[in-house]
Amino acid sequence: MSAVDIERLDGVPIAHVTEDLDAANVANVQRQLDGALDPDASSLIVDLSATRYLDSAAIDMLLRLGDRLEHRRAKLILVIPDTSQLIRLAAIVGLPDAIDVHPTLPAALREAAKPLSTQPPAPQPAPDRASTS
Amino acid sequence: MCEDAAHRITGVKRAVETPHIQTGMANGLDTEIPRTVEQSTLGPSVSDGRRSHLLSITDSALGYMSLEDILSELLERIRSSLEVDTAAVLLLDEDRGVLLARAARGLEEEVRQGIQVPLARGFAGRVAAEARPIIIEDLDHADVVNPILRQKGIRSMLGVPVQVEGRVIGVMHIGTLVQRHFDEDDVMLLQLAADRAALAIDNARISEQRAVTEIMQRTLLPDALPQIPGMRFSAKYLPAGSGIKVGGDWYDVFQLSSGRVAFVIGDVVGRGVLAASVMAEIRTALRAYMVQGHELTEVITMLNDLLVTMGRSRGATLSILELDPEAEELEAVTAGHLPPLLIELHGEARLLEQTPGLPVGIRTGHDYQSCRYPFPTGSRLLLYTDGLIERRHESIDEGFKRLTIAAQAAAQRTDSSFADRIYRALVDEAPLEDDLALLAIETVPLQDTLEMTLPARPNVLGGLRNTLGRWLRVAGANENELFDVTLSASEAAANAIEHAYGAREATFMVRCERDAHQVVVTVRDAGRWRTTRSHGGGRGLEIMRSLADSVTVDSAEAGTVVTITKSLSHQP
Repeated sequence: MSAVDIERLDGVPIAHVTEDLDAANVANVQRQLDGALDPDASSLIVDLSATRYLDSAAIDMLLRLGDRLEHRRAKLILVIPDTSQLIRLAAIVGLPDAIDVHPTLPAALREAAKPLSTQPPAPQPAPDRASTS
Repeated sequence: MCEDAAHRITGVKRAVETPHIQTGMANGLDTEIPRTVEQSTLGPSVSDGRRSHLLSITDSALGYMSLEDILSELLERIRSSLEVDTAAVLLLDEDRGVLLARAARGLEEEVRQGIQVPLARGFAGRVAAEARPIIIEDLDHADVVNPILRQKGIRSMLGVPVQVEGRVIGVMHIGTLVQRHFDEDDVMLLQLAADRAALAIDNARISEQRAVTEIMQRTLLPDALPQIPGMRFSAKYLPAGSGIKVGGDWYDVFQLSSGRVAFVIGDVVGRGVLAASVMAEIRTALRAYMVQGHELTEVITMLNDLLVTMGRSRGATLSILELDPEAEELEAVTAGHLPPLLIELHGEARLLEQTPGLPVGIRTGHDYQSCRYPFPTGSRLLLYTDGLIERRHESIDEGFKRLTIAAQAAAQRTDSSFADRIYRALVDEAPLEDDLALLAIETVPLQDTLEMTLPARPNVLGGLRNTLGRWLRVAGANENELFDVTLSASEAAANAIEHAYGAREATFMVRCERDAHQVVVTVRDAGRWRTTRSHGGGRGLEIMRSLADSVTVDSAEAGTVVTITKSLSHQP
């Protein structure tokens, strides 16, 4: 057991995060998430159901991971339960604007099963994430 | 595990045993010529000149010369006194059962090439195994292991054991390039030299081992017990006797990034440098496995497999415990170690009932099982090694009984640390017969105002959030407020840690206060707040401002103070 527990369901890599993500483990977690990515995988699900805290370093890592996947025509999908405090945090930093967030793993898997749009992703203006308070 | 107290060699006087003379017959049969001579009668039968020449060096030099110099000088004098071509000393490595060339004259290759002779084999091996002088008159017809002896063209050899208190610690041998008949005087003279060498070797080994062991122990025991709010630790470590008998007992305390706290107590079989080095391996492996977040049973299984795979000939007993301060629950697994003593809130003491487990390092495949115990605030726990309770001529149950009574009494007092009170009650009156390690853990209510000084390292963040969470819950915060304040403080702390990047031993301070309707968390460091290149892409401050009611950042030359304020909906 370590900070990330990886499984594959119907070829979709799912990374269950088993700890809080912060400056102490974010580099290690990023390596593990990168390692879970098959070259031909069209999506990566990061399950944050068991995570209580994400700090800004972890959010930054997830946003950058989302960007990298987008470049590869793949998508990053987060699982954050509705009851999780992380939902409020995600809203503050505009996470759902950049990354698909679903409340359950089955919902995330349904999202992963959707065919990718054939259009190249529209360049999104960076959301103004400083104007939330 | 108990060994006798250290003895120092005070003098060497004993019989020179029957030399074993191998005459070199092709059939390999030995011809023994029994001769026993009391060494104290040495005087008249040995040439006084040769004898005093040999003795002069050791008497004056033992005090200040290095072992290398003493042995070299001794061998040189042996060579000239006994008119031989080669002289060498091999020392026994007891754990591996081999003799290692340590110093040589005329046979320097033996040392350079690190020649090893298995015990009981070859010439030197037999001298050591049989603990008596052996003479080879013709090497061509004898069984020797060391190829250098033949390459050098040595014909005749005489070897004597190097002994300390009747225990063989090595072999000293001399050789000639022409065939020679070593006589009784030669044997006695060489034995005399060997005894002198034994003294020097033993002295040097004792001080060497003591130095190494002491350094290892200083590095291995935590130099400072961690400071975790709501927990009080105290510990005692006492080696029995002194010198090389310092042993393989140890304890360890560290906080995991999850906020849980790990405790280890253990005892490696035996003492001295080897036991201390096995203890070092165990300690490092345990920390590594624990930091990776493995379950206790996985940790102990992996450790056991590791030790068995590495072929360590020493087993160890140990207990690993993990305290979850939020859940107020303790998990424990044991590998044949004495059961921890739990002192409950009302002062009742009892040994933890554990699923037995084999000591580690003996065989793989053992199935370790952990148990969980409630550990409400105010509980105490005592981890210890057998030196604390075992007494000669007494059953272990008596020891447990004495420990339980002492712990119950100690729980009523506050005059010194808990570990110290236990130690005084149990050990003061009796001399220590074994090493002793003792670690006491107490949980206490969190103070109304929390103040922490933390090392500026990212791995403290988890523990900090855990502590803050516990404090906020006591302060009456609801789940949202607890999350908001904890994450804000964690962000401020992460920034303080980043300020200190590269600085060794840097720390930062966190202070949490509650006044009538709000909590105030202050994070203070010695660096400048970084707005542009801050960790998390500068998002930290934004998160803090969204979650808290107010966040102020005061950055000055002396450092940065971040003050986070949040009002609580529930008023106490």
